[in-house]
Amino acid sequence: MKLNALILDEVEVINNHHRLIRVNTRVSAGSVLTIMGPSGVGKSLLLSAIAGVLPAPFRQQGTIKIGDQDITALPAHRRGLGILYQDPLLFEHLSVAQNIIFGMPPGTNKYVQAEELLAGVGLENYGRKAVQTLSGGQQARVALLRTLAAQPRAVLLDEPFSKLDMQTRAQTRKWVFDTIRQNKLPCIMVTHDEQDARAAEGEVVTVSNSTETI
Amino acid sequence: MFAATLSLSRWIFILALIVPVGAGVLGVILPALSYFPAIGETEFSLDAFDALGAVQSLPYMIALSLFTGLSATFLALFGTLAMLAVFYQTTGLQWIQRLLSPVLVIPHAAAAIAVGFLIAPSGWPVRLISPALTGWSLPPVFSPLHDAMGIAVIVALTLKALPFILLMALSVLAQPHLSARLNKQLNLAVTMGYHPASTFLKVAWPMLYPAIRLPVIAMLAFATANVEIPLVLGPGSPPTLAVAVLQWFNHIDITMRLQASAAACLQVVVTCSAVLFWLLSERVGAGLISRWQLDGNRVTAARTLKGVAVVTVLGILTAVMLMLASLTVWSFAAHWPFPQALPDAITVLHWASGLTSMQTPLTNTLLLAVPVSLGAVLLSILVLEYEKQRDHCSKLTDKVSGDLLLFIPLLIPGVAFLFGLTWLAQLAQAGQWLPTYVSHFVYVLPYVFLSLAVAYRRFDERYRYVAYGLGASPYNVFVRVTLPLLSAPIAIAFALGLAISFSQYLATLLPGAGAIATITTESVAVSAGGSRRLSAVYTLMQMILPLAGFVLAWWLPAKWFNPAVHSR
Amino acid sequence: MIRWISGLLIINGLIWPTHAETLQFYAWGGSPQVNQYLEWVSEQTQQQFDITVNHVKLADTSDAVSRVLAEKAAGNHSNGNVDLIWINGENFAAMDKHGLLHKNWVSELAHFTLTNPTRNRNMTMDFGIPTNGQEAPWGKAAMVFYFNQRYLSRPPANASALLAFARQHPGRFAYPLPTDYLGISFIKYIALTLSTIEKEQLYQPVTESALDAVTVPLFDYLDKLHPYLWQQGEFFVRQASRLQQLFADNSLLLSFSFTAAEIPAAVSRYDLPLSTRTYAMQDGSLSNVHFIGITYNSAHKSDAMKVVNFLLSPQAQAKKQRVSVWGDETVLDMTRLTQDQQKLFAVDNRHPSSLPPAGHHVLLAEPHTSWTDALRKAWFARYGEHL
Repeated sequence: MKLNALILDEVEVINNHHRLIRVNTRVSAGSVLTIMGPSGVGKSLLLSAIAGVLPAPFRQQGTIKIGDQDITALPAHRRGLGILYQDPLLFEHLSVAQNIIFGMPPGTNKYVQAEELLAGVGLENYGRKAVQTLSGGQQARVALLRTLAAQPRAVLLDEPFSKLDMQTRAQTRKWVFDTIRQNKLPCIMVTHDEQDARAAEGEVVTVSNSTETI
Repeated sequence: MFAATLSLSRWIFILALIVPVGAGVLGVILPALSYFPAIGETEFSLDAFDALGAVQSLPYMIALSLFTGLSATFLALFGTLAMLAVFYQTTGLQWIQRLLSPVLVIPHAAAAIAVGFLIAPSGWPVRLISPALTGWSLPPVFSPLHDAMGIAVIVALTLKALPFILLMALSVLAQPHLSARLNKQLNLAVTMGYHPASTFLKVAWPMLYPAIRLPVIAMLAFATANVEIPLVLGPGSPPTLAVAVLQWFNHIDITMRLQASAAACLQVVVTCSAVLFWLLSERVGAGLISRWQLDGNRVTAARTLKGVAVVTVLGILTAVMLMLASLTVWSFAAHWPFPQALPDAITVLHWASGLTSMQTPLTNTLLLAVPVSLGAVLLSILVLEYEKQRDHCSKLTDKVSGDLLLFIPLLIPGVAFLFGLTWLAQLAQAGQWLPTYVSHFVYVLPYVFLSLAVAYRRFDERYRYVAYGLGASPYNVFVRVTLPLLSAPIAIAFALGLAISFSQYLATLLPGAGAIATITTESVAVSAGGSRRLSAVYTLMQMILPLAGFVLAWWLPAKWFNPAVHSR
Repeated sequence: MIRWISGLLIINGLIWPTHAETLQFYAWGGSPQVNQYLEWVSEQTQQQFDITVNHVKLADTSDAVSRVLAEKAAGNHSNGNVDLIWINGENFAAMDKHGLLHKNWVSELAHFTLTNPTRNRNMTMDFGIPTNGQEAPWGKAAMVFYFNQRYLSRPPANASALLAFARQHPGRFAYPLPTDYLGISFIKYIALTLSTIEKEQLYQPVTESALDAVTVPLFDYLDKLHPYLWQQGEFFVRQASRLQQLFADNSLLLSFSFTAAEIPAAVSRYDLPLSTRTYAMQDGSLSNVHFIGITYNSAHKSDAMKVVNFLLSPQAQAKKQRVSVWGDETVLDMTRLTQDQQKLFAVDNRHPSSLPPAGHHVLLAEPHTSWTDALRKAWFARYGEHL
């Protein structure tokens, strides 16, 4: 795996003629950039813009790069950016293992690999279970395994821990950040939880509620 | 390739709704203007309208259509308001919803026949009180069937319209963002001392009504132009305009088709007038409510609403129960002289002979319903997917115009365009199946689309974004994520499509030239036939079929697409 | 997806069997006995000639007539949807007038001679119009009345007694709209028995003066009758079969039919009360022959002729005459049959509700076909638009 940084070059989200948010930064491999700010400033929209799923009527400007590659014009599914939301959003029509396999590139023995990944996070023999039977913390782990199984080039986290209870949150947070660092992935996290930001141990960008007319 | 299919589907969708209706209307306007080469009429004139105007009872027919349609819609809406006002936020409402939902899928023809069973002079209610209370040893000679005012028609129309409007309202109220806010507002008003029913009237109804207005108006359009119900229950001299149109079209004298076409055009005007009248009445109603809103009265209409709600609930439930019970008893009855409350004996003869003679109609029913419903579901999904993927541009305008388009076949009376469509199909020698498929599709598509759109538009986008992030292409996401996760609403929409197709009477009879017998067309034919018992069998079958569809729709996706079922 | 579609095609193939030939037989579908008989016919023709006869069940035969007319107008001269059609009277007159029937084929049928057409002229005359080999006789029918013996010991025996009955039992008698076959037949029956003009005039094309002469006593009678009809004569049933339902409900105590055999059959099916009895009016029973035509634009004329020849066979005719099947009187002349063939027609045990043997007192032949429309128009002119 190449160690590539995620670069946001004057990336901004625009609603009609108002600029909601603008970010200019470089996230190196294995580090987590935290974007903080009150709700409604367009933090999540920024993640959507980076992932290539910005809904109408919003527009974006600027350039998004991974290493040297400009991915701004690529469709969402070819950007190679894994995304995690506050809900695990596991596919309920698939079993736990199938959810992980969904993201894997073509290959053989995918079931075995999925079970190995699960075993690595303390979910031995969970592969055939229905996702609805898992606890919140377990689901969050499966969701990250699924994201990593797709071998993304960067990871986007949108308030990833806000729905977990206090105890699970601390454990899961630690495990997620450790895993991202081990995999040497650049990561951008949007949150309004100071503890999340501290645990990320990376640069923190605070955006304020300013809509600027352009 | 996938993107191209999607944008093509949008065009097919628009054409499928506009072309048959438009062509059908044209096919009625031409003969109405005396252009009908088949009988050597090739000069345009207004003769057909003159002939129509000369029909003495025409004003009465128009009045009857307006009266029955407006009354039934008003009663259904008022009943809905009362039931919601009294039972909203109570467990009773869930009960009502559960009990009335099946009524929604009963075909109109079946409802009409069942009401006829109930109010017949020899029907069960009369038998139960005879001769003990009435002294009747023979059925009374007076009967609410075929009454000149169309009261029986209004009863049957209301019975069908009310569950439709109620469930529409409930689906609006079920929208999470709306219900959360509304519940708080209602509770707030109640703490100010307002009676809950009055609160609903003053606070919730003004917000709710605009959301269900379009379905209500579609219902009104339908009620003023419906054929099955007045054909079975309505008066004959004169009948409603829609029934007259049908009879003139089928008149032995083929030149009567000109007059029939003129009358079909008039039906459009009548339906539009009803809608116009309704829109004016809305203002009066809105004025009334807005005056009430600020008069400080804490118990406005509370008693009336309570009374109406109770009467409506009890009335409908009793009627439905009695209808089902009496159809069931008739379908198994041996000899059953009046005024005995129960038959001499029971027999399976009627079911046996009914099921035997039903084979072809049943096959035809399924041959029509399954492909039509499948096609409608597929097309609706593609269009909705197109809408999603096109989210970036012109989202709002697209959605509104698309949804309004759906109401075209619901607003333009079937008697107005189906004859024209049939005529054009005959000219094109398209046979019978193709035009029948087309006309079923026109009616099935709006319901399937509307039912799917709710789920599709509410579907959590983030599932797709996650899947994109996992590298799945739009096509893969569509097939492997969106469709399986939406399998339950898709199955429901499919079942709804089946139910709508099952229930089509005119849309089968006319384009099929009577040669495609379905359960519904046969049921109407049999109801006019000699055997009340056989008619009961057919009518019950008409009710069972759509319910079977819904039961399967509810059961199958859970079985196929839910690993939880397998792992347990 | 492809699997789905191919699966669907296979299913379609299974339920849409492809036969060598399928004939579309457009025939009134209001009677279960007739429908079941036609199902039997289709089975037989499949076995014998590999021809399927699809019964297109009509509520009103005129629908089929206007369909063929529309096809002709649209220039479809060789591939019509209608192959066979069950008609007589007015519908035949309409098809004859517009040239919608295949001509001169009936005499080619082997079994047609069994009807002895030279002796029985009504085998080639349909309501006063010569058939010209466009339609083959299929069966005979005469009007019968039936009453509920539990409530009525002596039913009315003629038209004037019928009026007296109605006065005595208001709301217990009805007749269908004259657009219905049985409805116009009732009017003809009254017209025939009450008219004071020379009977011959009724068997010639209608004239204005003859019509006036007939309608004066007719309307005088109906004016008196209508207030005592079911629903006070304000609603007339559209289809004759509905009368049977009303009679079964005990709403009517007296009714009538053109198919004597359907009454005992309906009693056996519980569709009429056990106390139902059938009889014929002493002042006469309207009677006629019904026919089968082949359309001029049928693509399967020779197969259609094979089917009609089968319908005229002693086997098919005897089966049709059986009360338990349909009870439609045969058009075959017994003197033309062998003894074995005659045995096929032997009477089964008589049902108490069926018409007694030799129950008809006088048979009244149908007036000339032009009278049908004239009487109907006069009726609607007098009693207003009923739809």
